[in-house]
Amino acid sequence: MSLIIEGLRHARPNGFVLDVPALELPAGKVTALLGDNGAGKSTLLRAIAGLERPHSGTVRFDGAPLRTEALAFAFQERVFLQGTVRDNLDLALRIRRLPAAERAVRLAAAAAELGIAHLLDREAARLSGGEQQRVNLARTLALRAPLTLLDEPLASLDAEVRERLLAELPAVLRGFIRVAVVVAHDRREALGMAEHIVILRAGRVLAAGDKGALFARPPDVETARALGLVILARDQSCWAVPDHQLRLGRSDHAPVFELRVEQVLDLGTHAEVVGRCGGAIVTVRAAADAELPRPGATASIIAVHAVELPR
Amino acid sequence: MDEIWSDPTVAEISLRTLAVSGLATVAALVVGVPLGYLLGRNRFRGQTFLFAAVNTGMGVPPVVIGLVVWLLLVRSGPFGALELIYTKTAMVLAQVLISAPIVVGFTAASIEALPPRLPDLLHVLGAGRLRRMWLIAREARLGLLAAVMAAFGGVVSEVGASMTVGGNLQGETRVLTTAIVTETSRGNIDRALGLGVILLTLTFTLNLGLTLIQQRRRKG
Repeated sequence: MSLIIEGLRHARPNGFVLDVPALELPAGKVTALLGDNGAGKSTLLRAIAGLERPHSGTVRFDGAPLRTEALAFAFQERVFLQGTVRDNLDLALRIRRLPAAERAVRLAAAAAELGIAHLLDREAARLSGGEQQRVNLARTLALRAPLTLLDEPLASLDAEVRERLLAELPAVLRGFIRVAVVVAHDRREALGMAEHIVILRAGRVLAAGDKGALFARPPDVETARALGLVILARDQSCWAVPDHQLRLGRSDHAPVFELRVEQVLDLGTHAEVVGRCGGAIVTVRAAADAELPRPGATASIIAVHAVELPR
Repeated sequence: MDEIWSDPTVAEISLRTLAVSGLATVAALVVGVPLGYLLGRNRFRGQTFLFAAVNTGMGVPPVVIGLVVWLLLVRSGPFGALELIYTKTAMVLAQVLISAPIVVGFTAASIEALPPRLPDLLHVLGAGRLRRMWLIAREARLGLLAAVMAAFGGVVSEVGASMTVGGNLQGETRVLTTAIVTETSRGNIDRALGLGVILLTLTFTLNLGLTLIQQRRRKG
């Protein structure tokens, strides 16, 4: 059982149209929505939660229309009611009609998961942006909702907390969710948290699937690009390459491309050779003591690991 | 001035003042808070025009509203048959019309100042309609209590409408403000001043109570 969206169509007055004829988000997994600004990630999340009134379409969760009790949603905007962090967390649990003892357990668990136990008696509105974001997440996770939606969960967090949560959040979510959906502007965050990927472009689903499968075999150039792969073309063929798999040099066992060098940066530990390969701007790392091409020259690069894309 | 404290008619006038203006304020809240909520919460065509109309309504001189109500209720007027002119009911009616725009304006401004996503948050948390309204009102209580104070302060201190539609009848429709006018015109300045002090004391006491509620839990 999972989350199934059918025939969803929602037009905004500004001309944007979200059009999702059919989409299934698998059970037991964290799904990330990927896409550029304005691709419709947040709109889709809001439509799933029932906050948008789509012109048509249904959202079914575990085979039935979604009930609010099954849902938890962390907005990108951090909204709190007046009062302390504890008041805000407790209110969310009280609305769900949980008994006092259960509320106390949930509240303590969520506070520990997000590292906000020391903030519980502070006024929520007066916390820093990063602290508020942790409270926002704690309030959402405390609900232990089978369908948990997180819009930019790691935004505003300082680097240390962000990296810790990037590592821990998926495991916490898997502890209680049926379906979790994460929107993250940062591709690294989205990929780091999710096993299932949905790529949106201009209100439509460009590709959807298991993360490993999509990277192993991107269905097309657009999808590969959205996944952050470098697209290189040669002799009527296209390859998708993770940028750390590019090297200077030649090989008989890997595809070789011509790079028109525009810039060479010596960064001490290593060097970066930046140039154009077909239409793409490519950055290739090289050892600092390697023989580096000059700007204006043409260099050969190899893709150590590349996937040839279907034409 | 001493004798006014022992004058039973002064207590009677004060109580009548509280009753008329209190009832008018409550009625204005019942009508004005929902309208203010709709005005502040939603985006719709003509909203700016409505806001301007409400803001104008907040500044209409009470005597003008009194005149309109008088024209409606006077014996030869369209509602003359109701025989409401020169009654406390007429005064309440006029004061509702004076204070409702104040309530609408203050409510709309306080609702507009809330985080735009607050209703969405309460919705996804699963709060029902009544609970959402209660929680939103609680969040907006600074503005809502300001609305109560401004509305009551506006009507308890007005004299034009009460005089016009109430007639300042002794033992019937005389309130503190119209009594002050009467005493002043009779040259009883001491008595007029004393009534003024009573009026101020009443409104101050009420505002103190509301301000205490308003400021509760703001510290921290």
